[in-house]
Amino acid sequence: MERSIFARNPSVPIFIGVLTLLALGVTVMSEAYGTGAISVSFTKVLGMTLCLCLAALAMDLVWGYCGILSLGHFAFFGLGGYGIGMWLMTARTEDVVRANLMGGVIPPTEAEVSDATAAQIFSVVGATDWPWMWAASGSLVLSLLLVVLVPGVLALVFGWLAFRSRVTGVYLSILTQAMTLALSLYLFQNDTGLRGNNGLSGLQNIPGLDTVGQDRISIWFFWASAAALGLAYVGAVWLVSGKFGNIIRGIRDDEQRVRFLGYRVEAYKLFVFTLSGVICGIAGALYYPQAGIVNPDEIAPIASIYLAVWVAIGGRGRLYGAVIGAAAVSLLSTYFTGGRAPDIDLGIYTIEWVDWWPVLLGLGFVLVTLFAPKGLGGLVDYIVRKDRA
Amino acid sequence: MNSLLEVQGISVSFDGFRAINNLSFVIGCPEMRAVIGPNGAGKTTFMDIVTGKTRPDTGSVRWGETGRSLLALSEAEIAQVGVGRKFQRPTVFEDQSVWDNLRVSLKKPRGPIAALFDRVTEADRARIDEIAAEIGLSDHLDRPAGILSHGQKQWLEIGMLLAQDPRLLLVDEPAAGMTTEEREHTTALLKRLAQSHAVVVVEHDMEFVRRLECRVTVLHEGSVLAEGSLDHVMADERVIEVYLGR
Repeated sequence: MERSIFARNPSVPIFIGVLTLLALGVTVMSEAYGTGAISVSFTKVLGMTLCLCLAALAMDLVWGYCGILSLGHFAFFGLGGYGIGMWLMTARTEDVVRANLMGGVIPPTEAEVSDATAAQIFSVVGATDWPWMWAASGSLVLSLLLVVLVPGVLALVFGWLAFRSRVTGVYLSILTQAMTLALSLYLFQNDTGLRGNNGLSGLQNIPGLDTVGQDRISIWFFWASAAALGLAYVGAVWLVSGKFGNIIRGIRDDEQRVRFLGYRVEAYKLFVFTLSGVICGIAGALYYPQAGIVNPDEIAPIASIYLAVWVAIGGRGRLYGAVIGAAAVSLLSTYFTGGRAPDIDLGIYTIEWVDWWPVLLGLGFVLVTLFAPKGLGGLVDYIVRKDRA
Repeated sequence: MNSLLEVQGISVSFDGFRAINNLSFVIGCPEMRAVIGPNGAGKTTFMDIVTGKTRPDTGSVRWGETGRSLLALSEAEIAQVGVGRKFQRPTVFEDQSVWDNLRVSLKKPRGPIAALFDRVTEADRARIDEIAAEIGLSDHLDRPAGILSHGQKQWLEIGMLLAQDPRLLLVDEPAAGMTTEEREHTTALLKRLAQSHAVVVVEHDMEFVRRLECRVTVLHEGSVLAEGSLDHVMADERVIEVYLGR
């Protein structure tokens, strides 16, 4: 019964295969390395979509497998973006400042560069000093550590408090909404040190890569996003296919029963919740350099609800379902709200897709719930089984 | 015979209703004990208290040779010290295969990290096969537990209890939904277990209790009404009154 995880999970080679083909296809059609059929901006859209798929994968772990409907996971996603964003902005601004100051007769001291950089970054909120939370922004390694640690610690502390008090179901969902809303409101303030509603911008400029064009950087980030998604997929499959997976699915279906078997349910929930928070943080750190800007609006409560909708449409409890759902819905969303879909003129009324997209999404959600209760991923299962029969 | 579980003077109320009223109960190891009583006598609440699901308002629950209090422990910790429970309504993980259900129950380290790196050893495999043979589910190991019949789910839950290898087994209505043959098998299994474990069986079916040939504790309105052999308690005026009405 103990076979390799690939033999037990045919979805892994298929998933990796599809991802590799996609990466090759996009590369061959990219502006930097191929025919140029795919524009730089669309390459970024695809790369960002992969990051959203990664977040959906984390959401499926926590909701689809462990039964914790978190409606606050985009907080972790956004924090990952802020973590890497601080370094990107600092290093980039420093380069610019240094170049400007070099024009003078006397070379600038480090303190002058630092002061000028801070003034440049924070003038928009009327400040000139480095806030304490930027302490690590000078170091890439420390910033990468922040990307993992900040969402991880937030998830750990929040989860510990919530699970220990046995808050479950809709009450937990409401608490997670409150968490992301509180964080978003906090970041909206100008004096928190993260530039208020301006957020962190210019993140697409990677320090040290000034001479490399966005065409190549976009493909690199696309590759990195694909690699992260592939790795996370294999890791997640490994996690849920062993005894650990049996236990967390047991917690989802009947947590009291799992307790009476001697398992500390809270510890398992905390583990999965924190892990998925960290994955979301990494996804955010890959996403925002492609998006170019991260601001508090990104972690508004609605974003986390969308994440749950993607997973529901894709099919809970099947990891590829979450990925399919996130990819399908977020690409469609880009299509309809990004001005790509032509508006339909009905004479008396013009259908503008930007306004009608939420209606479409709602309809899609209802249809999936009614006709494919196991989601798009469940449809895949259905077709595969049918072929075999 | 030493006492394994000592329950002293526990009481618990839910919204003013006294579910358990100054109840005391002692069981040794090995020993088999049947607990009977009309609906609402507090049988299930009693099990809830022993397993940590419900906290009593007063009284003490002591465990093992050292007399350690179970009241300070969580459900999971109580299960870890060796209290296993089979529920009245069979509760198995319906989404998962019979084999997986047994695997998660096997007595092994219970922490998340241990579970992540858990490998199925030859001993585990042999133990699962042995239990499956005992509960008559050898041919169903790969099937999801959800599609089993009610009786088979009962068996699976008994199997999960065996896999846990507890010292004290709390068994709530094990024979419900079983055929006559299955009942006999269950009786034989419980009797065999009682040679090396403490077994508490809650049951409505008097015939089943008679076949267990053990001491009987009669609960009524949250307290012990009578205790002794089945014939002894059935001859008790108060028991007759409770069971047959006045």
